[in-house]
Amino acid sequence: MTARIERVVVALDAVSENRAAIDTAVRLAARWRARLHGVFVEDDDLLRLANLPFARQVSLGAGVERLTLQQAERQLRAFAEQARRDIAAAARRRNVDWSFDIVRGAAAAGISSSTATDFIVAGTATRPIGGHFRIQCRWWSAVAPAASSFLLSSRMWDRHGAVVALVHNREPATERLLDAAAQLAEAGGGQLTVICPGELAEDETFVAWLGERLADYSVPVEIDLAPADPSEVIRRIVNLDCRLLAITADDPHAKPDQLRNLIAQAACDVVVIR
Amino acid sequence: MVDRAGQEFKSGEPLPPTLLHRRSTPEELPFKLSSELADAPAMIGQDRAAEAVEFALRIRRKGYNVYALGPAGTGRHSLVLDLLRRRAATESTPPDLCYVNNFSDPQRPRQLDLPAGQGAGFAAAMKRLIEELRISLPAAFERDEYRARREVLDQQMKTHSEEGFGGLQQRAEAKGIALIRTPMGLALAPERDGKVMNPDDFQALPEDERKRIQADLETAQGELEAVMRQVPQWEREHRDAVRALNRDTTGFAVAGLVGELRNTYADLPDLLDYLDAVEHDIKENVDDFLPQSQPQPTPEPAGSPIPPAAQAAIEDMRYRRYQVNVIVDNGNRQGAPVVYEDNPTYQNLVGRVEHLARFGALITDFNLIQAGALHRANGGYLILDAERLITGGYGWAALKRGLQSGEIRIESIEQALSLASTVTLQPEPITLDVKVVLVGSPMLYYLLSQHDEDFAELFKIAADFDDRVARDTDATMLYARAIATIVRREHLRAFDRDAVARVIEQAARLAGDSERLSTSMRAIHELLQEADQLAADGGKEVVGAVEVQGALDAQIRRGDRIYRRMQEEIARRTIRIETSGAAVGQINGLSVISLGALAFGNPTRITAQVRMGRGEVVDIEREVQLGGPLHSKGVLILSGFLGGKFGSVRPLSLHASLVFEQSYGGVDGDSASAAELFALLSALAEVPIKQSFAVTGSVDQHGVIQAIGGINEKIEGFFDVCLAAGLTGEQGVIFPTSNVKHLMLRADVVAAAAGGKFRVIPMETIDQGLQLLTGVATAVTDRKIADRLDDFAAKAAALARTAPGSMP
Repeated sequence: MTARIERVVVALDAVSENRAAIDTAVRLAARWRARLHGVFVEDDDLLRLANLPFARQVSLGAGVERLTLQQAERQLRAFAEQARRDIAAAARRRNVDWSFDIVRGAAAAGISSSTATDFIVAGTATRPIGGHFRIQCRWWSAVAPAASSFLLSSRMWDRHGAVVALVHNREPATERLLDAAAQLAEAGGGQLTVICPGELAEDETFVAWLGERLADYSVPVEIDLAPADPSEVIRRIVNLDCRLLAITADDPHAKPDQLRNLIAQAACDVVVIR
Repeated sequence: MVDRAGQEFKSGEPLPPTLLHRRSTPEELPFKLSSELADAPAMIGQDRAAEAVEFALRIRRKGYNVYALGPAGTGRHSLVLDLLRRRAATESTPPDLCYVNNFSDPQRPRQLDLPAGQGAGFAAAMKRLIEELRISLPAAFERDEYRARREVLDQQMKTHSEEGFGGLQQRAEAKGIALIRTPMGLALAPERDGKVMNPDDFQALPEDERKRIQADLETAQGELEAVMRQVPQWEREHRDAVRALNRDTTGFAVAGLVGELRNTYADLPDLLDYLDAVEHDIKENVDDFLPQSQPQPTPEPAGSPIPPAAQAAIEDMRYRRYQVNVIVDNGNRQGAPVVYEDNPTYQNLVGRVEHLARFGALITDFNLIQAGALHRANGGYLILDAERLITGGYGWAALKRGLQSGEIRIESIEQALSLASTVTLQPEPITLDVKVVLVGSPMLYYLLSQHDEDFAELFKIAADFDDRVARDTDATMLYARAIATIVRREHLRAFDRDAVARVIEQAARLAGDSERLSTSMRAIHELLQEADQLAADGGKEVVGAVEVQGALDAQIRRGDRIYRRMQEEIARRTIRIETSGAAVGQINGLSVISLGALAFGNPTRITAQVRMGRGEVVDIEREVQLGGPLHSKGVLILSGFLGGKFGSVRPLSLHASLVFEQSYGGVDGDSASAAELFALLSALAEVPIKQSFAVTGSVDQHGVIQAIGGINEKIEGFFDVCLAAGLTGEQGVIFPTSNVKHLMLRADVVAAAAGGKFRVIPMETIDQGLQLLTGVATAVTDRKIADRLDDFAAKAAALARTAPGSMP
């Protein structure tokens, strides 16, 4: 992510917990002096469902009820308007330029036009049923096709905790990862923890290389060894009180199913850097 | 005839100078300076009032409140305050009064009594408790033990979720059905290639396939509904479990801190009850003490962020319910309170509930309850000005209600009058135990007694303040000590004996009686201060009689502008007052004009005309509605005298008219009735009256002269006219003998009398006065009057015979 970010795109829909994503996006846009662009996606899965003759919706308030296309479209319009107002208010508070679009399609449709100078933010969870029960939203599925870095946000930005970067090598993608992770750690006022394999951590040149990469940032840095068993990585992340996990796009955890699993278990924000 | 000092005088003859002004003798004042005298023990001449107040103070029963009635300046406030303070000092100090939150009904704040001086301490202890809890409770919830127990509960919820929704989702996906979050809830949809099937694709499926999918959907739909029905229960169970955990965690942290307070106030059961309520409320509302956790996103609302000051206000509101509002702190008090409320309006008496403006709305709570005078005086004494109470915005009604019900109920006027229906606080009433002393005028006392049925029930004791005291040797010495007390208290220069004597003489003049002293200490107080200032101006260390006289002269000078203007117009003969010569049917009468605190005598020319008539004496003042009822009564009395003396042997066939010449305002009182009769008799007898005299006095139907008021001012008023015209030795005032004891005339009048230049002559009867005024023997005058009346009667009879009905 060494390229300058010109636009922070916040992806929104009618079922996600949008406000955490908006909060994160507007803070980053303000920090990077980038434009804030909201994209509200009218989920075509929902519209197709509403067209089926036997479509039913179950809610705590109304129980079982018929779901019609007209009803679905009305609700989508209402949520889109709410999202637009939230973006406008957040941008005004942070003095950020903003714009807003509504698109119809799958989750990925909303960000199909993103470029390398964009930075995408989306929520990870749907709004809860009752007080606690959430199901994952589908933004994880939009990460892989995206051309830009993608942050899946589940919490408000100002929570405490470290930014954790998963490093496997010294490739250019890793350099971009470190650059982005350091920026995000600096923005959040926390420390940066670099998890890397043992052989890399024990290489003195790696430490020097790491120092050079992070020389421009004023964040405390720690190096942590990756568990030998890859399945233990998530547990390690949880134990590190991680607020944001940064991985490269070619990290095994960035694969759609893995990413879905990672979000569910790590309970932190995840950013995939390109 | 003998005066009070055993000095002889004779009616009809000029009085000796010694009877014109009674001086205080050196024997009566055996000291040189006022500083030698001890303080006066109490107010002078108010024994009756003092006994009444003391009696009321001894009776601690309902209705034994006091109305102290008397003229202003007689020391009502001072005496009452002094007696109450002495009594209060021997009584126990009442408790501090506090209001605290009523946790079960915040609209009705609870009242707590604490021993005097402990209210503020308890308020501070409660503040410390909350500060401690704001630290210790978050710490308790940060401990590993709490977190672990909370994690177990959350994990149970997660398990429910995974078992419910996760299991359903897996089973559905296995059958090609997706669980979708809709904007309002959840839905199930047939899925192909990771996407929900559209209707065309679905219809294109073989019928068996469609039926299978629909059957699977119905099964999954049933499961989803079952899971959804479970959700509220799981939520409730989790909520209850978390609440119980929080309560346990809070209870441990709170118990120790509240326990310390319980030990401190173990002997106050009401306060222990309150602490129980506090502990319970903290356990139920522990979230207020914890930092705002963020498991759920809590975004800033649209629009401007909340300013820090407003945020602090919100924080403050959260803990206000644990504060203690000490509305009456008796910590620094010794004995019972004595409170004087100088503005006894409704709210100043019963207290008020104030409001705060927060975010555009007016809010209130028990912390904004303010005490009234009844609260501050509770357990002691309250002094109020009766006139201000009656006129001061429902204050009287509030006081009566409190005394009748025996409690103080804090309500707005609107509530009390049932004019407002808005919801507001209804603080718990406080038991009222107070002795009220109203200080007011006699007129108001009698009005209330007559027109307010509650008054006699609530104010059973009247303390009647006298405006004068007998001027005997003891009283004179006591008065001197009272003067010395004021001099000392006000840090004035010492007064020498002559100065004190002059002040006492002025007290007699204020009483309008040489044998009495005024108890209006306010006027004496002012005289002492002003005399002291003159001494200071003159560089003297001791105040002498010269300064006292100077102060009196200055007081008169400040207030006599109108009097001097009238004297000036008499001297210029714009107003005609004759002081020499003689005239038939014309006499100088005397009246008094009050100008603020001062009063002056005003000579008036009274004339009479007679003619044949039907026996009427017409009072012209009354005819034009300038005469008051007492004046009219005096004129009717003199008609009675005339009829009694001359009408028994002949009809009174006369028509007489009487008038106050150049009088353009109202006339009342009967003090001119003797002068009017003299004018009438002169007109009837056609015998001239010496204009060098002025006359004052009322008369009865037998011709006896009776006492009148303002004798000193009247004599001085005519003296000033004569002085301006030139004293001849023939001039003087004829007045009732019964007024001799009231004479306290100015020094210049006394000096003129002593020099034979002015005469002050008492009279007993009309006959005696008429002889003085005309210089003609009474028998001669009476004969002339009888002849005149006979002549009127004969002419009237003749006229009646020749022209019946023509009598005017």
